[in-house]
Amino acid sequence: MSEIAAKAPTRPRRRLIASRLVPYLLLQALIVIVTILGIRLLQPSDPDDYAVSDFSAREDGLTRPITLPHFTSSRYSLADPPCYTGTFTFPSGDAASGWSVYLPRFSNAVEVAVNGVVVLDSRRDANANRPDRNTPQIAVIPASLLREGANEITVRLFVWGPLKGFLDTVYVGPDAALRPAYETRTLLFVTLPVVFSAWQAILAVILAIMWLMRRHEPVYGVLATAMVLGVVQAFAPPPVPPATVSHLAAVLLASAPIESALIVAFGVLFFGWRWPRYGTLLFVPGVAVFVIGLIGGPPLPRILFLVLGIPTVGLCLFLMACITAIAVVRRQDAASFTIGCAVTIVLTCWIQDMLTVLEIVNNDRIFVSRLSYSAMLVAIGAGLTWRFARALNQVDSFAGQLVTRVREAEERLKASFAREEERARAATLANERTRLMRDLHDGLGGQLVSIVALSERGSTGAAITDAARAALKDLRLVIDSMDDIGGDLMLALGSWRERTTAQLRPHDITLDWRVATPQGLPLHPELRPWHVIQIVRILDEAVTNAVKHAQARRIAVTIDTFDAGQGPYGVISVTDDGSGFALAGNGEAAGAGQTARGLRNMKSRAARCGAVLDLTSDASGTRVRLKLPQRFPDSDMAAG
Amino acid sequence: MTEQGETGEAITILLVEDDAPTCWRLQDALAKAGYEVRSAGTLAEARQALAAGAPRVLLTDLRLPDGHGVELIREMRQRFPDTEIMVISALGDEESVISAITVGATGYLLKDAFPTDIATTVRDLVAGHSPISASIARFIVRRTQGAAQTSAEPPPGPVLNTARLTPREIDILWGIAKGFSYAEIASHLGLSKQTVPGHIKNIYRKLEVHTRSEAVFEAVQQGLIKL
Repeated sequence: MSEIAAKAPTRPRRRLIASRLVPYLLLQALIVIVTILGIRLLQPSDPDDYAVSDFSAREDGLTRPITLPHFTSSRYSLADPPCYTGTFTFPSGDAASGWSVYLPRFSNAVEVAVNGVVVLDSRRDANANRPDRNTPQIAVIPASLLREGANEITVRLFVWGPLKGFLDTVYVGPDAALRPAYETRTLLFVTLPVVFSAWQAILAVILAIMWLMRRHEPVYGVLATAMVLGVVQAFAPPPVPPATVSHLAAVLLASAPIESALIVAFGVLFFGWRWPRYGTLLFVPGVAVFVIGLIGGPPLPRILFLVLGIPTVGLCLFLMACITAIAVVRRQDAASFTIGCAVTIVLTCWIQDMLTVLEIVNNDRIFVSRLSYSAMLVAIGAGLTWRFARALNQVDSFAGQLVTRVREAEERLKASFAREEERARAATLANERTRLMRDLHDGLGGQLVSIVALSERGSTGAAITDAARAALKDLRLVIDSMDDIGGDLMLALGSWRERTTAQLRPHDITLDWRVATPQGLPLHPELRPWHVIQIVRILDEAVTNAVKHAQARRIAVTIDTFDAGQGPYGVISVTDDGSGFALAGNGEAAGAGQTARGLRNMKSRAARCGAVLDLTSDASGTRVRLKLPQRFPDSDMAAG
Repeated sequence: MTEQGETGEAITILLVEDDAPTCWRLQDALAKAGYEVRSAGTLAEARQALAAGAPRVLLTDLRLPDGHGVELIREMRQRFPDTEIMVISALGDEESVISAITVGATGYLLKDAFPTDIATTVRDLVAGHSPISASIARFIVRRTQGAAQTSAEPPPGPVLNTARLTPREIDILWGIAKGFSYAEIASHLGLSKQTVPGHIKNIYRKLEVHTRSEAVFEAVQQGLIKL
């Protein structure tokens, strides 16, 4: 039961892996075939008409006839090199065109003599002697050396082990016929590697900069290091054996295994895996070649390179192929496919070279690994750049999305703000209407009704006039209170003084006005029209009481500002010299008359705007003291 | 008692008011004080009356059956610059008073003022003392503040150019707006009490916009009109 349950999820997974791996492997097989065919097709052709193949070779004191191309045994001494002697015919009448000797492939170095005179010594061209490159050589034979008929050509082949010496067919003929073949080989095996190496150098710089700017991505650093090693290996002149700088030779030999190990490291990091601890073992062969090269002189490092270095390169290529295969199965993306195909090509080339070295395949000893490896590095570099550009695009589109989102949010916010503002405006309007209605109801409405009542009762004169004047006064008060006074209650009191003075003039009552401080009252930014109306109505009531009920002759208004340490507050006092009225014990006016109702009104109005009303009255007069709050309440305290 | 001007003749007043009871009331109060009052109910009647000669004082309502009092005031200022003009207002609100001032009125009269106050106001006006209310003063000084703060949006209400007012005149207006008497303002500002009413008239004159083109110019100056 449990076995089935455990197997159930594995089976589709296996099927998935197979469905992904099989096409990939088939593709790689196809690539292998195409690569081999390509190598075959690209094999440069030589002008066979001028081939000189029959030579007598003198090697180790032994002379025997051979046919080129020919392998000689590996040797470690430059003394007494194998010497090939052959003849070629210089036709009469061809003295006008220059003749050349062309060697398409040799290893490691050659010295060519025609009729006993040396015309070419490749040891002077360090790059020509590298066994990993397939450098051709050509030399013009001075016309004076040529004799009509048979001429002798001698080729001395210098070999330094452990590789066997090799001499391909030698061509002697008119320079015009030989040079195109030479140029083709130079293009393929000299210029192209230089171009690739230059490319590599540029990518190394770019990748190094990327790594410097993004230290948390060592993948760039690893690849940059590999490329730098490759460039150094490509451009540093290899020492020719008589030279004493053997240490440099060791370093150059060590570069290939180290490079390949770095490429494996790159692969692991690029596909987002952790570099395993034992992975460092991959670097051991390269380092070993390097260290031994530093200690021991040649040919030990070369032997070690052949034994350790080249298999390491092969192992690394194989590991890389496995890594990319896993990546292809897991990720199925363009990058892993591309790298996988590149690795397959390089691996094929490496196997081809191995077969060439082991003389299993006769390939005129043309090595293609280095060339394909350079091409692979360039491909990887291009891939990384592509990935970088794509990341930039993603950042761009992310930024674009962000801008769009922010704009959308802004729009929403604006809309909701407009809604909110509209709502607030509506609420303000409603509040204002309520307040206005209450104010008009309190004053103007009542007064107009009383005018109607008085007219209906047939009253004439003073009563109606008073009521109508009161109504007008109230209307002006309501209009006045709506004005923006910027929190300065003094501005409202100014108008009130004016109205009150005009009101008192016919009664022949003096209004004394005393403002204790130049500023008047403290500013109240929170002051609202309804506060102003309540305060002014209180003052109106006080004045009306003084005129109507107390028969005062003099009314004094005092405006004062006090500060008890918690901020300033204003006090407005209205004092009259009238007859006063009796107060009950609780401060309320005795009796239920108009005065009492007026006083109750005043108290409640004061309470609504947070003020405190004090009333003292005796026979010498009445004093109404209105203590304003430090801060006016936002909402009507009495109304809720 | 007959009110007389400098020449000894009775002071003539042209009263333009369409509401008959109000007109009677004002006419009675003024006639009782000794003024020679002619009354008109419409703009046309007023113009007819002017044909007979310029009055010393023009009292006019703003809302008239055949037009606006502002037109009459403007005409008067152009034809008879010596005539003192006052606007009659039911509420003394800044909307009507300020619009009259900007065309040349130098004061206002409340329709329900007590008869003695009506006579006193006209007498003061003829003597060169322009009446001003706390709320009008307040409106003007608030406008000077508004002009200093921001000119992005014209404030509501009539167009008013306060740019020509001096700081002293603005101080006087502040005093009036806060309910101080002329005497108190004079002592605060170190002025003679008698000079304050003259300042008020100057203020009115400075607020006057003389011609239409000048009105446009002022509006541009204040940023009310964007060219």
